[in-house]
Amino acid sequence: MTVKQFFKSQAFKCIIVLLVIALIAGGLLAILNDVLYVTEEERTMRAIEKVYGQEMQYEEKQFPEEAYSNSYGSISKVYFLENGNYLVQSTGGEGYKGGTITVWVVLNFDGTSFKGIDKVVQESYEKQTLMSKLSYDVYSAHNDEVTGEVYFTTKDDGIKVVISGATYSTNALNNAVDCALKFAHEYLVENATQEVE
Amino acid sequence: MTGKRFKTIAFDGLLKNNPTLRLVLGTCPTLALSTAALNGIGMGLAVTFILICSNVLISLLRKTIPNAVRIPAFVIIIATFVTIVRMVLDKFIPSLYDSMGVYLPLIVVNCIILGRAESFASKNTVLDSACDGLFTGLGFTCALTLIGAVREILGAGAIFGVRLWDFKIEFFTSSAGAFFVYGLAIAIFNAVYSKVENVRRSKTFALRMLPKPDVSAPDNLDPDASGEAEKANTTADVTAKEVK
Repeated sequence: MTVKQFFKSQAFKCIIVLLVIALIAGGLLAILNDVLYVTEEERTMRAIEKVYGQEMQYEEKQFPEEAYSNSYGSISKVYFLENGNYLVQSTGGEGYKGGTITVWVVLNFDGTSFKGIDKVVQESYEKQTLMSKLSYDVYSAHNDEVTGEVYFTTKDDGIKVVISGATYSTNALNNAVDCALKFAHEYLVENATQEVE
Repeated sequence: MTGKRFKTIAFDGLLKNNPTLRLVLGTCPTLALSTAALNGIGMGLAVTFILICSNVLISLLRKTIPNAVRIPAFVIIIATFVTIVRMVLDKFIPSLYDSMGVYLPLIVVNCIILGRAESFASKNTVLDSACDGLFTGLGFTCALTLIGAVREILGAGAIFGVRLWDFKIEFFTSSAGAFFVYGLAIAIFNAVYSKVENVRRSKTFALRMLPKPDVSAPDNLDPDASGEAEKANTTADVTAKEVK
């Protein structure tokens, strides 16, 4: 096939048509992506609204690298809210099939003292198939005043037992909450004191 | 487009070729997103919008797109509209965007949309294709909402998020419950549809079976009787043409 024949062939027409469609679609999506882009601030505000039911001013806090993980899981975001509480996004492991659950935990502070957990709201999960078993009651079972370093467990040998029909998923949820609690005890109490000072 | 053509397309999309309950297409989102009636409406309307837009564009380009590359071209067009819907939902209705999860991008490979593009939009005019997209989408939305409502009422004791009572059977919110309700919906819909269709067919058959009068018979001289027989004959012929 000569070059001239190629340019007149059906194959060339196919390439051109597909290219034109892809280019127009790509251009349109690029423009729309710019117009409809959801910023990180907007996502954070949505998360706060999901937890509190209203928008609230916040300040993102930075901590040393080792603060973002502990024996229960990992912390990805920490926000200091205008009402003096902390909003922490934490991920707990050891769920069903080794999966994880990520939650937003509202840590209640009264000035410099850590009072307990105000609210636990699910953000996302991986590999968990029985999430429907984790009802509102299971999440709200974590809302409690905390005295000393007490953590949640699914086993009947702890003080704070939280369990549901999905034991492994509840374990991941407890780990996520415990991760936030440990972080609060180790870093936030000190930070809260500095904030007040 | 004539009124009759419009009625045929509407009847096909909503009932005769209902994608969920007659053709059993789009099963994946039907089973996964029918946990609540609102999810069903959201998914259904998203699919309807994409169906209309992709059908219109594919119909416009049907003479331009070479036959050999029609499927990749359709997929690019459908994927573009799905991405636009994703962006819009993420920006303006984040709760619905979150509840749809992975099933929203999966609309790209939804066989209802690709099926209508291939079998209808690539062969018909823009207006016909738009109507086909609208009614097929509405048929899908109605089916999803119906299944979602049944599962929500029985599984969560609520409808459209409004609590009705404390009684609930959790089986209906599980995957097994989804298969059960879906199967039941298909069975009931098809039983009712077949019944109605059989009645319609027997009426048509009875009309076709009307005896044709023998005009050459010497005793057939009564002008009134002859006129009635001719009328019946004409009706039977018209019905036969309609059936064909």
